[in-house]
Amino acid sequence: MVHTWYHIAKAEYFVLTSGMRKHRGSLAVALFLLATLWAVEIAPAVISAALGALIPMSQLRFLLLIIFPGVMRAAMMFLWTALLLFPLSTALQEIKVGQWELFLSHKVKTRDIMTGTFLGKMPLYGLLVLILSPLLISPFMMAFDVSFAGQVLVYAVIALLTITTIWLSNFITAVVQARLGDSSRGNDIAKALSLIVAMVVIIPMYGMMFFMQTLSQILGMNLFLLMPFAWTADLVSWLTIGFNGIGLTELQIAAFTGVLQLNMLTNALLMGAFGVLILIVGLTLADRVFTINVGARTEKVTTVGRENLLLRGIRAMVRGPTGALIVVSLKDFGRKAQNLSKVFYGSVLALVMPIMMRQVMEVEGSTLEFVGILAEFGMMIAILGVIPFAGSGFLESKDQLWMIQSAAKGASHFMMARLASALLIALPTVIVPLAAVVYIFGLTVTESIQLLIFAWAIVSGAVMVSIGVTARNPNYEDTKSSAHQAVMIVATMLVMLSILAPMFLDIICLVAGIDLFQHVGLEALMMVGSPTIVFFVGLLMMRLGIGSLSKPQT
Amino acid sequence: MKNNGICIRTEKLNKTFGTVQAVRDLDLEVSSGSRFGFLGPNGAGKTTTVRMLSGLMKPTSGAATVIGFDIERQRDDIKSVTGLLPESPGLYSKLSAVEFLEFIGALKGMTGAVLNRRIEKLLSMLGLEGRRDDLLESYSSGMKQKVLIASTLLHEPKLVFLDEPTSRLDPSAAVLVKDIILVLAEETSTTFFICTHQTSFAEEVCDMVGILNQGQLVTTGPPHAIVESSGAHDLEDAYLKIVGGKVDRESLLSWR
Repeated sequence: MVHTWYHIAKAEYFVLTSGMRKHRGSLAVALFLLATLWAVEIAPAVISAALGALIPMSQLRFLLLIIFPGVMRAAMMFLWTALLLFPLSTALQEIKVGQWELFLSHKVKTRDIMTGTFLGKMPLYGLLVLILSPLLISPFMMAFDVSFAGQVLVYAVIALLTITTIWLSNFITAVVQARLGDSSRGNDIAKALSLIVAMVVIIPMYGMMFFMQTLSQILGMNLFLLMPFAWTADLVSWLTIGFNGIGLTELQIAAFTGVLQLNMLTNALLMGAFGVLILIVGLTLADRVFTINVGARTEKVTTVGRENLLLRGIRAMVRGPTGALIVVSLKDFGRKAQNLSKVFYGSVLALVMPIMMRQVMEVEGSTLEFVGILAEFGMMIAILGVIPFAGSGFLESKDQLWMIQSAAKGASHFMMARLASALLIALPTVIVPLAAVVYIFGLTVTESIQLLIFAWAIVSGAVMVSIGVTARNPNYEDTKSSAHQAVMIVATMLVMLSILAPMFLDIICLVAGIDLFQHVGLEALMMVGSPTIVFFVGLLMMRLGIGSLSKPQT
Repeated sequence: MKNNGICIRTEKLNKTFGTVQAVRDLDLEVSSGSRFGFLGPNGAGKTTTVRMLSGLMKPTSGAATVIGFDIERQRDDIKSVTGLLPESPGLYSKLSAVEFLEFIGALKGMTGAVLNRRIEKLLSMLGLEGRRDDLLESYSSGMKQKVLIASTLLHEPKLVFLDEPTSRLDPSAAVLVKDIILVLAEETSTTFFICTHQTSFAEEVCDMVGILNQGQLVTTGPPHAIVESSGAHDLEDAYLKIVGGKVDRESLLSWR
């Protein structure tokens, strides 16, 4: 008899690989063969060539010997958070309580649901690990000249980390989904959480990119011995040391022992015990986790009160239907946790970049010109104009189109009101990261005002691009729809390319024999060129969006 | 824009999606102030017809006028004088009923005291005055449907398109909607174009019925005339005879 978990795993796998359709089997085999070839042959060769071109192996080996355990912890922390939080973030985008009701209305044990969904996810995430892990591990394997047996053991440890982390992620997802329930309010909270969760992965990723050395020093502390990723990292470190082919001296091994603290066996036991523990916790608590709890959320009734001073002020200043539309748009946007979370997300990203740049400058002892700050800040602040207002920030789903399209000139009225409300939210928000940049880089008053005008122009343009791009393709059902993802990608790319357009223009001019920088000046080109282009692209997209949204379906 | 008492007139109206012909040579006349029931199985082309007539979709060929306005050239004029309740409409769950209706009213160019008074009266008539300031996320599907019906009537349209208006309503709310349609049609000459699967609803509310099957208008006339001409005992029976769909007891158990 085939167990029910098998059917659930099969369904989950079919959903995850739905893009492959009937070629699923052959494509999956081909992908795994390719990924294995990548992990065993291609990645080490490519990384070896790339590193060799950048830094000689003797120097790299010396560098890695110094920061090795800390860097391994950083790499494993990234892998662990990505594996733990990305599935969670994705799952929160779509609450699946309806599916559970279907399962539970049949004779299906909750532990079968847990096992089935876990096994169904394994092939896809396994493939991702197979592709990503050589990028993180290969430099160490080469630097320490680790034997084939050692490499097999290292990848086995990473596979174990992958399995336990996905199981844990699956369990946490189930708990969060069951608690939020399948309600409009629960969905909103889940989507807001998904962004916060994604941020937890993105910030360490930036950290790894910009100040790996500091991060590895921080992660070298004993405090991190309590974290499961540290046990895996240290086990990999011990295997690398144990199977090294470069003849590490007794003294060097003793130095590593001082940093790693726990020996290989202890790390292996801790890692194994953690795996067994979360397996038992998941299976034994499955019944309690799957208590579907929609009621508590849906029963909560929110009653709106009197409008605040700001909204009343807007109504007084903009009379008639336009004022009413702006006020209602502000209310709709501001009451959704997911929108506020996106504004927060955009602000944090805009804030993190200058902090990291400053860190790099301090480490390298270099200075950053004002024009460099303009370019960096412009790129990051543009995200604040895109993420909250493109896609679902403009229109929840295609089901809402009827309201706009069934009103005469509804598209232009709606889009102008959305634009006004978005600018009322985005422009004051810019002040927070801007103040941080002014403080961090010690900008003068003139530079601060220049940066403020620059940022406002970029954000205004980015908001218009976002609204215009969404209006041209609003046929999505939810944020997981491919149409929604396309909207987000197109809006982001369009804004980024518009900001970089003066640089492209300069390259083209150089090819044509004109030195544009010499004639205009780099600062003026960035200061005036980028925001002007973004702003006009935004106006154009708004116009195209209104036209597209007003057009009848064909 | 003379319409001689005709609210909707279509001539050889066609709509194709790739190889699928959704609406085929539709010739239809609906009188002003009438209550026209548009019946047909799922996928017959009812919603496509409504979308074309309300100016949301371009026909592939043919012509139509709605309240004297051409559906191809005067779409904004049509939208100004019609109300639309689609089959699966989305609404703003984070707005209260009053805020949502204010939003719809503002989109239609309404504002101020007139709009506020109309919102109050409609909510009161639909029995929602006690929940007027609660967010729509806490409404049941029936209550949401009532708010949506209110949104279609807000600007006093001359013609209202209703796609399955009572499918999510409990019996008492469905009776209320029936009464609203009857009173508005009689007292204000509002025309109703109602897509429905519920033959009993069409029989009670509509003075004219058209049955659409595979994109073609199969029959049209008053409900009792359709029942008589098809030799049936009620509209459901007539519908099944015209469209098909009666399954014998043996077939019902054949899957076992």
